[in-house]
Amino acid sequence: MTGYFVRRFLLIIPTFIGITLLVFAITRVVPGGPIERLMTQIQLGGETGSLERSQGGGTLSDEQMEELKRYYGFDKPMLSSYAIWLKKVLQFDLGLSTRYQDPVWQIIKERFPISIYYGLTTLILTYAVCIPLGLAKGMYHGSALDSWSSAVVFLGYALPSYVIGIALISMFAGYWDIFPLGGFISDNYDELTLWGKASDIFSHSVLPLIAYLAGSFAVTTLMMKNSLMDNLSADYMRTATAKGLSRSESVRGHALRNSLIPVATSFGSNISLLLGGSFLIETIFNIDGIGLLGYEAIIERDYPIVMGILVISSLLYLLGNILSDICVALVDPRIRFGERSGS
Amino acid sequence: MSLLSVQELSVSILSDDGAARELVSKVSFDIEAGKTLGLVGESGCGKSLTAMSILDLLPKPQARRSHGKLIFNGETISTAAPSRLRQIRGKNIAVIFQDPMTALNPVQTVAQQIIEVLNIHFPKLSRRKHRERALELLHEVGIPAPEERLAVYPHQLSGGMRQRVMIAMALACEPDLLIADEPTTALDVTIQAQIVRLLKRLQEKNGMAMLFITHDLALVSQLSDHIAVMYAGKIAEYGPAKDVFSKPCHPYTQSLIAALPGINSPAKSPLLALEGQVPAIENMPPGCRFANRCRHVANICHTEIPQQDVNTNATMVACHRWKEIKQ
Repeated sequence: MTGYFVRRFLLIIPTFIGITLLVFAITRVVPGGPIERLMTQIQLGGETGSLERSQGGGTLSDEQMEELKRYYGFDKPMLSSYAIWLKKVLQFDLGLSTRYQDPVWQIIKERFPISIYYGLTTLILTYAVCIPLGLAKGMYHGSALDSWSSAVVFLGYALPSYVIGIALISMFAGYWDIFPLGGFISDNYDELTLWGKASDIFSHSVLPLIAYLAGSFAVTTLMMKNSLMDNLSADYMRTATAKGLSRSESVRGHALRNSLIPVATSFGSNISLLLGGSFLIETIFNIDGIGLLGYEAIIERDYPIVMGILVISSLLYLLGNILSDICVALVDPRIRFGERSGS
Repeated sequence: MSLLSVQELSVSILSDDGAARELVSKVSFDIEAGKTLGLVGESGCGKSLTAMSILDLLPKPQARRSHGKLIFNGETISTAAPSRLRQIRGKNIAVIFQDPMTALNPVQTVAQQIIEVLNIHFPKLSRRKHRERALELLHEVGIPAPEERLAVYPHQLSGGMRQRVMIAMALACEPDLLIADEPTTALDVTIQAQIVRLLKRLQEKNGMAMLFITHDLALVSQLSDHIAVMYAGKIAEYGPAKDVFSKPCHPYTQSLIAALPGINSPAKSPLLALEGQVPAIENMPPGCRFANRCRHVANICHTEIPQQDVNTNATMVACHRWKEIKQ
């Protein structure tokens, strides 16, 4: 099985190259790149201060254009500039943001704490709620608890997160003024005590967290419930009863572990959620996270940042997939990757 | 006194429309200590439901025991508390199921699953003792290289080997009664014979009684001391194995035996088949349930439920006309 995972790790390389090359190529052909933006800026500037310009309009000379192209690396053919970019990435250099002139890594790193805070909390709360809730729903299928929790969970799933976000803000921050309107910390954060800091972050994050979580319960809860119900009606549960186990003992000893298998499978791919962050929610709540950064970078054609976020998120996703496989192999002895079955 | 006495046992299921339907209707039989009762019948006649209701292993909440009394070793277990029933399960009465592919937990090793039974009923014994006993059991049920087999998972074993593991698990606490619910149906014929021989040998060695459920009449005739033939949820004929098999009184038993292909019958001769269908559960006839397929049917069969008569061989027959149609 080790060979299988080594192969999977090696496969990251071509997949990673494929993803980045594709996006790199797109950044080359999509209109509105940094040079075009600069030219429009100069044109606009030229119109306001036209007296200083001897030559009419705000066009650049050919030399200036060449210089700009060289600066942004557009003078070379696509593949060779991709190779240069890739070489820099391998040295952990993601380049400079064309908008801020700061190192991309620096800019992304600044947003990490906020995104990881929300990502991790969402991940932990999702599993902490979904697994027990799914178990309870599975064991008491058809009860009032089951029907009502289904209604709530599906309502959250059906409503778009930005609708929930706006509704929450207008109710709890606008109408009742219980929670702050947005942001991650208050302006006077540095003056607060440790306890004050913690409760400040908490009160800022309640509404966005609800918006994040509302839609995330349905899938895992229902997966847990269905998987438990499948296992509860399995033949080996009758065997467990025939051995003399009580119902709760047989659920704990047999059905529970087996029904966690599909949930464990999805864990790896959820790792990429850690740095995900929905730009819609971040925009609504004015949170300076990775989602918002990525969205703005695309709108502003800040390609080094776009590529930088892509590098990190695609690596996380690829590693998450392998992590899923490892989880499955750990919890299910029937799974032996890369070996012939029946051996 | 018999080891297990089943008296007028009925099992009902809740159908989709909410009505309770009696699938097993007032079934009575006794099992003597150390003896084997074969419960025979076609698919859906209620033989597995009968067996499962003894230990209250019916699928809940759809099926439940709606009537009847179960007496095991002088104790009325049909009204026993759930905690008492749990003590009996696995220790005094053990079960092996039809499909060894699904009856074992796929993600636990053979050792874990056998030791679990020992752990429930003999929690005071040391882990080493449990392991030794598990090893001994695997050896007893004829699994080669038992030491290695302890650490494997069910999917690494063949069907026959899995059924042997099930048997080892059932015998772990040396039960007084073993309920074998079609233990060979899911296996191929050569393995079937091995498993039956194994059960017979273990039964003699441990002196346990067995309730053997099957639709294989030939198999049950070799194995059993008594046979109960079930049809549509009722017992049609019940008595000593050799009498039921050699001198069947009930027309259904007669047809069953006639349908067995004999070793001397010419090759490619058509198999005898019983005409008609078992009546559907929602419109069971008011009289004899076999009436619509019976060659000897009379008017009384359609209107009155046949009484259980006892003939000269101490065989119970539920037929209005068995005396007239005696072969």
